[in-house]
Amino acid sequence: MPWNALAVEAVLGLWILVLLIADALAPASKRLWVLALAGIFAAAAALAWARPAWHGQLVQGMFVADAFAAYFKGLLLLTGALVILMTRRFAPLSNATGAFYMLLFTALLGGSVLASVHDFLMLFIGLELLTFSLYIMTAYLKTDRRSIEAGMKYLILGSVSSAFLVYGIALVYGFAGGTSFAAVTKALESPLTPAAAQTGFFLILAGLSFKIAALPFNLWVPDVYEGAPTPVVAMLSVGSKMSGMVALIRVLYGVLLPLQGLWGLLLPVLAAGTMVYGNLGALPQTNIKRLLGYSSIGHAGYLLMGLATATPEGLFAVGYYLLAYLFSSLAVFFAVVLVSDSVGGDTLEDYNGLSQRSPLLAGVLFVGLLSLAGVPPLAGFVGKLLVLLAATESRMLWLVALGAVNVAVSLYYYLMVVKRMYLGQPRSPALISVDPVSTGALIILTAGIVLIGVFQDPFLEQIRASLAFSQ
Amino acid sequence: MIPLATGILLAPALAALALLAVQPQHAGLIRRIAVAATMISLAGAVMMMATYDRARAGFQHEVWLPWIGSLGIGFHLGVDGISVVLVLLHALCAFTGVLISYSIRERVKEYFIFYLLLITGVFGVFLSLDLFFFYFFYEMAVIPMFPLIGIWGSDVKEQGVVRFSKEYATMKLTIYLTLGAVVALIGLLALYANAGLRSFDIPTLMRHFGTSPLSPELQRWIFPLLAVGFGVIAPVWPLHSWSPIGHAAAPSPVSMLHAGVLMKLGSYAIIRVAVGLLPEGARMWLPWLAGLCVFNIIYGGFVAMAQRDLKLIIGYSSSSHMGYVLLGIACLTPLGLDGAVLLMFAHGLMTALSFALVGHIYDQTHTRYLPDLGGLAKQTPFIAACGVAAAMASSGLPGFANFVSELLIFLGGWDRYPVPVICGVFGVVITAVYMLRLVRGTFFGEPKPAFHHVQDATTAFQRLPYLVLLAALIWVGCWPGRVLQTVDASARPFIERLTPRQSSPMHFAESERGAP
Repeated sequence: MPWNALAVEAVLGLWILVLLIADALAPASKRLWVLALAGIFAAAAALAWARPAWHGQLVQGMFVADAFAAYFKGLLLLTGALVILMTRRFAPLSNATGAFYMLLFTALLGGSVLASVHDFLMLFIGLELLTFSLYIMTAYLKTDRRSIEAGMKYLILGSVSSAFLVYGIALVYGFAGGTSFAAVTKALESPLTPAAAQTGFFLILAGLSFKIAALPFNLWVPDVYEGAPTPVVAMLSVGSKMSGMVALIRVLYGVLLPLQGLWGLLLPVLAAGTMVYGNLGALPQTNIKRLLGYSSIGHAGYLLMGLATATPEGLFAVGYYLLAYLFSSLAVFFAVVLVSDSVGGDTLEDYNGLSQRSPLLAGVLFVGLLSLAGVPPLAGFVGKLLVLLAATESRMLWLVALGAVNVAVSLYYYLMVVKRMYLGQPRSPALISVDPVSTGALIILTAGIVLIGVFQDPFLEQIRASLAFSQ
Repeated sequence: MIPLATGILLAPALAALALLAVQPQHAGLIRRIAVAATMISLAGAVMMMATYDRARAGFQHEVWLPWIGSLGIGFHLGVDGISVVLVLLHALCAFTGVLISYSIRERVKEYFIFYLLLITGVFGVFLSLDLFFFYFFYEMAVIPMFPLIGIWGSDVKEQGVVRFSKEYATMKLTIYLTLGAVVALIGLLALYANAGLRSFDIPTLMRHFGTSPLSPELQRWIFPLLAVGFGVIAPVWPLHSWSPIGHAAAPSPVSMLHAGVLMKLGSYAIIRVAVGLLPEGARMWLPWLAGLCVFNIIYGGFVAMAQRDLKLIIGYSSSSHMGYVLLGIACLTPLGLDGAVLLMFAHGLMTALSFALVGHIYDQTHTRYLPDLGGLAKQTPFIAACGVAAAMASSGLPGFANFVSELLIFLGGWDRYPVPVICGVFGVVITAVYMLRLVRGTFFGEPKPAFHHVQDATTAFQRLPYLVLLAALIWVGCWPGRVLQTVDASARPFIERLTPRQSSPMHFAESERGAP
C-alpha cells in the first residue's frame, strides 16, 4: 500500500505532537515560530517527495492523490508559513503561541484532507477539522470582547452550515447507497435523479458556500473578520476559502458534472449576488478588516463565476485566481498586522499618511490592494481576465458585464485606502520600523505579485498540468 | 542588439525599477536617471520615425515573443505609419515632461517612479500589436495618474475658494477611466471569443476579419462597447467631465502627458481596435460619433470660454479639440484619418507646451486665476513669446501643424458630414476667442506690482523643453510632408480595407503586402 501519498498529512499530524511537547517543555517561548515554520518545511518536503511517486486512491477510495491535490496542498502550506510569520509580530498572540500553532496545524491538516477528498464523509471530516480549529483560533484572544463575539458568531453560523452539510450527505447516501464519490457518480449514471437527492446536493453546496463566504451564507464574514486576530483572518480569508473552493471543485467537477444543468443555472446567480453584495458592502467601511472581509466576499463571487462556467477553462481560471489571490491577500494582511502592531488599531484613519511613516508598508499595501482590484501588471489582473474570458466563452455575457463593472467599484474602495496612505496626513510622524524577517516576507510576496502578473505562462502551464483532473 | 521597439518601451520601465534602489535624498541622481531614460526613448522614437519605410508601409520594427501560448497571447510590438507618429509624440512629451518635472521638489523619488510607469504604459499602448498587452498597458497607464494628481497636484481655487479638491479630481479621473476600460474589456473579450481564432494578435485578427468578418449583428453591439469604453478617455462628450478637472488639478508635467498623450490613447484605440477590427460596426455607429463631436467642439469651446482658471481653459479646450480628432476618424476617408492623426500629434505638442507654460507661471506667481494675472510679458518675455505661439497654434493659424490637420479633417469630412464640419469651423473661431483672451489676460495689460519678483526661463536648460516642443510644432506646421506621408502610408490602406466597394484586387494586394 503506497502510504507515502499521505506523507503531508502524516507530517502535519506528527508536528501537532511535536508542538505539544515543545510547548510543554518551554512554555511561552518566543522562538516557537521557528519550530512551527520547520514543520511547514517538513510538510513541504514530504509533498515534494511524495508527489511524483503515486497517483490514485487509498483508504478504501476515500482519499485521492493527484496533481490537483498536490497543487493546492502546496498553496495551503505556503499560506500556513506566512500566517506563522504574521503571528510572530502580532502582539496580542505572541504570549501564548503554543496552542495557537497546534490549532493552525490541525486547520492545515483539515485543508489538506479536503484537497484530497474523494468521499462525502471525508469531506465532512476535513471540513470540520478545519472549521473547528478556526472557531477556537477566532476566539483566541480571551480577554478581547470582540474576539469572543466573533468566535461565537462564527461557531453558531458554522454549526448551522455543518447541519446543512450533514443532512445533505444523508440524503445523498439514501440516493446512492454509499458516500464515496465513486458510488455517487455511479448512481448519477441513471437518467433520473430523485428530488430528494437533488435537495441533498444543494444542501451540500450550501454547506460549502459557507466556507467560501458566498451568498447567502456570508453574513458572518464582516463581524468575524473585524473581531478575530488578524493572522487568523488571513487564514480564514486565504486558507479556509481556498480549501472550501477546492472541495467545491471536487464535488462539482468530480461528481456532479452530470447535474450541470441544475447547478449551471444556480451558480451564475450566486456569483453575481455575491460579487455585488461584497463590493457594495465594502464601500462604506471604516475598518480595514471589515473592508477586507467584504472584499473577500467580492472575490468569492469571481471564483464562483469561474466555476459557474462548468468548463475546463473556468476551472483553470479559478486555479490562477486563487494563486493571485493568495499572494495579494497575504501581502495585504501581513502589512495590516504590522501596521496594527505599531499603530495599535485597524481603522482606516490609522492608515493616514502611512507612506510617510513607512514607505515599505505603504508600497506593499499599494501593490497588494491594486492587485486585489485587478490592475495590471499585477497578479490579480490576470486572474480576473482569465475568469472573465472563461465566462465570455461560456456566453454568460451579463455576468461578464457585471464582473467588469465590479472591478471599477472595487477599485474605488481600494483606492480610498491608497488615498489615505499617500495623500493623508499622519496623526503621528513617528516612523514605523519593520523587522528583517517580515521585510523579507513582504518583499517576496510583492515580487511574487508582480512576477505572477507579468510572466504568466510558467504559472499557467503549472496550473494546467495540475488541473488535469482525476476522478 | 535590442530591437528599437523594446528599447523604447523598456528604458522608462527599467529606470522606474532602478529608482526603487536609489536613496530618496539623491534627488539629482533620480532626475538624471529619468532624463536619461526618456532621452533613450526619444532617440529610439526619432530613429524609428526616420527608418520607417513608407513605401512598404504596414507594420514594421516588429518584435514577437511567445507569451501565453495556450491563449494565443504574444508579446507583439510594432508600429505602422499611424502609431509611429504617436510614439514620437509621446517620446517628445515624456522627455520635455521630465525636464519640466524639475520643478517638483517634494517626494521626488516616488514622483519619478510613478511618472516613469505612466510613460511606460503609454508607450506600451502605442507599440502593442496584441490586444492583451494593449489592454494591459492601457490600464497600467491609468493607475499612476491617481497618486500623481493626488499627491503632487493642487486644488482648483477661484478667488481663494476651493472649487474642487485634487482628491476629488483624481478619484473621478481614475474611476471614469477604469469604468471606460472595463466596458472596452467586455468588448475585447467578446471580440476574442467570437473570432474563434484563440488569438489576441491584432494583425492576425485583421487578416482574419478581412476574409471572414464578424456578423453585422455582433459588430453592431461590440463596436459601441469599444467606442464608448475607449471614448471615455478620448474624451467623447458627454463622458468628458473627468478630463478638464483632472488637467486642472494635476501638476503641470502630469497635465502635459495627460492632455498631450493620455487622451490620444482613446482615439488611437478607437482607430486601431474598434474601427480596424469592426469595419461594419464602424459604418453603423460613426455617424453618431460625428454628431457627438459637434457637442465636443462647440460645447467644450463655450465652456472653455467661461473659465477663469488657466488650466481649466486649456483643459476644456483640449476636450473641445479632441472633437476634431474624433470627427476626422468618423469621416472614414483617408484624408480625414490623416488629419485626425496629424492633429493628435499637433494638439499633443501644443497642449504639452501650454501646460508647461502654465506650470511655469503658476510656479512663479502661485496663481492661475486669470483676473489676478496680467502684464507678465515684461518680466517673462520668453514665456510670453512661447505662450503667444501656443495660442496661435491652438487657434489653427497657418504655420502650425494644427492648421494643416484641421484643414485635412474639414476637407475629408465635407462630403459625409457637412453640418458637423461647418460647426467645426465655427469652433476654430471660439478657440481664437478664448485663447486670445487668455494671452491678453496673462501676458499683456498693466504690469502688476505683486509680480515684480517673477522670473523668466533664463538658462538654456530651462528653455530646452519649450524650444523642443515649439520646434517640433513649427517643423510639422511648415513641412508637414514627411509626417503626413508616413501617416498616409498606413491610413490609406487602412481606410480602403474598410470600404467594400473599393476592395478591388489591387487594394487587397497592397494591404497584403503591408502585412508582415
